[in-house]
Amino acid sequence: MISAFAASSPLSSSSRIAAPLLESDAITVRYGRSIACEAVSFSVAPGEVYALLGRNGAGKSSLVRCLLGQQNPSAGRARLFGGDSWTTRVRALERVGVVPEEPDAPPEMTALRLADFCRRLYPRWDGASVTRRLDRFEVPRDVPFGRLSKGQKCQVLLAMALAPSPDLLVLDDPTLGLDVVAREFFWEEFLGDLADRGTTALVTTHDLAAIEGIATRVGVLKMGRLIVDEDVETLKGRFRRIRYANRMTETRTEFGNELDAFDAVRVRVRGWGIDAVVSNWDESVFERFRLMDGVEGAEATALSIEEIFVALAGEADGNGGRT
Amino acid sequence: MRGLRLDFSSASPIWSQIDEGMRRLVASQVLPAGTAVPSIRDLAGDLQVNPATVAKAYQRLADDGILIVRRGEGTYVADAAPAIRRAERIRLVRDAASRYASLAASVGVSADDAASELAAAWRRLGNAKGDRR
Repeated sequence: MISAFAASSPLSSSSRIAAPLLESDAITVRYGRSIACEAVSFSVAPGEVYALLGRNGAGKSSLVRCLLGQQNPSAGRARLFGGDSWTTRVRALERVGVVPEEPDAPPEMTALRLADFCRRLYPRWDGASVTRRLDRFEVPRDVPFGRLSKGQKCQVLLAMALAPSPDLLVLDDPTLGLDVVAREFFWEEFLGDLADRGTTALVTTHDLAAIEGIATRVGVLKMGRLIVDEDVETLKGRFRRIRYANRMTETRTEFGNELDAFDAVRVRVRGWGIDAVVSNWDESVFERFRLMDGVEGAEATALSIEEIFVALAGEADGNGGRT
Repeated sequence: MRGLRLDFSSASPIWSQIDEGMRRLVASQVLPAGTAVPSIRDLAGDLQVNPATVAKAYQRLADDGILIVRRGEGTYVADAAPAIRRAERIRLVRDAASRYASLAASVGVSADDAASELAAAWRRLGNAKGDRR
């Protein structure tokens, strides 16, 4: 049926049939002998908010530079709107709004001068939206960019990124170093644009609590490899924390493999028993598990994206549980 | 929005939490018939979730006749919001039963004892209703 609600951009996996706006096709980036990322493949479909997560040094920045055509990958292809990012970047970037990791603009320019400068680069430019947003963020109009606070700089760059009504928004850890109030302002503004235009976005961030309800799909980079690439609902559906006490009994004299069916990504031995995060959750298997000899008081709880990320990224050998 | 809380560590998806939360608010008359509900944009900002997630919940609520969309005006609680559907009722009870069974098991109460406690609670409920008459 036809949706009565304008902002109902696709959340289901069926949306992935549409041609991706952004695509990383087996991208590898090497610097001399060190590898920043290796054979990374994922794509961002229209209407998706793709959260690319990873610890510092996991390879996010190199990957984002390749995707935006600012760097040529050592192997593989980056594609924007179906065209090679590196060769078509000049035209493609007219349709992309970027908020970079480091707020970067000529320090002597005021926000309005900056807007004036940017409008010439974009065929579609909504100047009114810039002044509206600057007012809302209370960014002083006569203060040069270099003297604004970190939070104000980010707001200015978000206003610039949204002004050309971009088909794709790339936010590269936009709230890094912002205080909690400035962070909330930033995400609210982003949510407003999602509501108004159903914007497609790639977001890298350490602000996992904020992205929790916003992301529709999640990728996790770990030491240059993409170990997770799936819809939020699917991801949350297959992860659980399982806690139980393990007791030796007459028939059970050792433990060690009872979690195998669940593909544990992290197992901690606590005073009271076992605390595990598993990546292959199955309710009926768990019903049998809790009745196993020597397993007592087993309980399973669902996890937030943040908890899943910590379990995956924090383990020395943790992988997506699928290898 | 008051009375609507999300749990990101829940097994239930966010759109479904919004859907259920709104149903509860309507069923308990916190949102009486004819009340305007927040716009998708406002509720998304309020809950800090993707507007598409709110839209998905609203779409279900509209499909089930709980919300009515008046073009250009807004979204309202339907005048005769239908009672909770049978499938929904069963699911709610099944979820609560799982929680109860798990609690009983964890404190070492047998299935029989747990069942008789439930029956006793049910009887007390009946008495309480009788008292009110």
